[in-house]
Amino acid sequence: MVMNTESRVEKDPAGAAILFAQDGAPVTIGSQLKGRGGRGAAKQKPPSGPTPRWPDGHPLLSAPPGQTGYWDSGFGGLTGKNGANLPTNLEISEVPFQPWAKALYEERRRTQDKTDPHVRCVAPGGPRQFHTPFGLLIYELPEAKRILVLSGGGPRTWRVIYMDGRPHPPADDLDPSYLGHSVGRWEGDTLVIDSVGFNEKFWMARGGLPHTDALHLIEHISRPDFNTLKYEATIDDPKAYTRQWTGGWTIPWAPNQDFPEYFCQDNNRDFGHLVGQ
Amino acid sequence: MRFAAFLLTLVPLMAQEGHPLVGSWRGDWGPNAKDRTDVTFILNYDGKNIVGMINPGPDVAKLQNASLDASNWGVHLEADMKDRSGKLIHFVADGKVEDVTSARRRIVGTWSQGGMKGDFKITRDD
Repeated sequence: MVMNTESRVEKDPAGAAILFAQDGAPVTIGSQLKGRGGRGAAKQKPPSGPTPRWPDGHPLLSAPPGQTGYWDSGFGGLTGKNGANLPTNLEISEVPFQPWAKALYEERRRTQDKTDPHVRCVAPGGPRQFHTPFGLLIYELPEAKRILVLSGGGPRTWRVIYMDGRPHPPADDLDPSYLGHSVGRWEGDTLVIDSVGFNEKFWMARGGLPHTDALHLIEHISRPDFNTLKYEATIDDPKAYTRQWTGGWTIPWAPNQDFPEYFCQDNNRDFGHLVGQ
Repeated sequence: MRFAAFLLTLVPLMAQEGHPLVGSWRGDWGPNAKDRTDVTFILNYDGKNIVGMINPGPDVAKLQNASLDASNWGVHLEADMKDRSGKLIHFVADGKVEDVTSARRRIVGTWSQGGMKGDFKITRDD
């Protein structure tokens, strides 16, 4: 059995890829995600259309008017270059951990995520929101000067990104939270989000990469074509890492489908399956 | 009572998932199983050092020297703390974090204060 500890994709004895979703349940790739075809599927995807745009020319990160669809999240990791991960990602051995953070990460891997807060329906803060299974929507509300990032998985989290140029509140006024305080701006075709004010009650990425309340997250999001969202996160957390580092992945578009309804709290039995070692 | 215990099994523990020592820890120390003294630690991590206090309140003591050896989860704690007569006496505690990924992790080890030696066990609060 082969296991990618970041993406949690395993192969069964017959070689078929199995995704182990956040909720711990094995999901054969493609069964959750209609029309995706699955990683390594023989069927070639049709060529993607161009990036949809707002009238002023900047990218539209949701479905164009009259269409349905959502970002088919659930894959990818901040480290490693396999699958949907970016080719520029560090390998896990290259991550500039502080000694305690490295030891804690390794202990989480050794104990097979049995204490992962997310499987107990804790909100997915930071990059975790972008690889939580069961979909992602990014809605820009120009009149409100906000962008909403809606997660279909986990506890169906939603996050506000302020696009009105406001700064972060002073550090003493920030109430540490799962999603932090996010401000964004467009740099060409890339949405740049700067977030601070995270609490320490969640794992910022699947696999257990640690963070602290000092986490300063810089995310770069772009839609290079109609069917692809590129997500890249720079981790700036001097309490947990010796320097900034960056990783990311791509997320495919699931066209012609409504956002699935899923609630982690509904009959959640998953943490009982995480027995660890 | 039974219902309350049942509810406790349903409530997920909200762990502190950052530096393993950060948080409040409660337990006791003493020379034997019958002679125990309650103790509370408030520990924090400033990015380089473990800082904190012991027994917040009128008898609070500032942690003077603390460290974590992540290679074996060894913990070293030192401070001047009042004994039962109110006299300030230096203590040294050396232990290990047990079940480090758990919300209810523990630090267990040896404790010496003045001429007294014993053991201690503290558990992280949520």
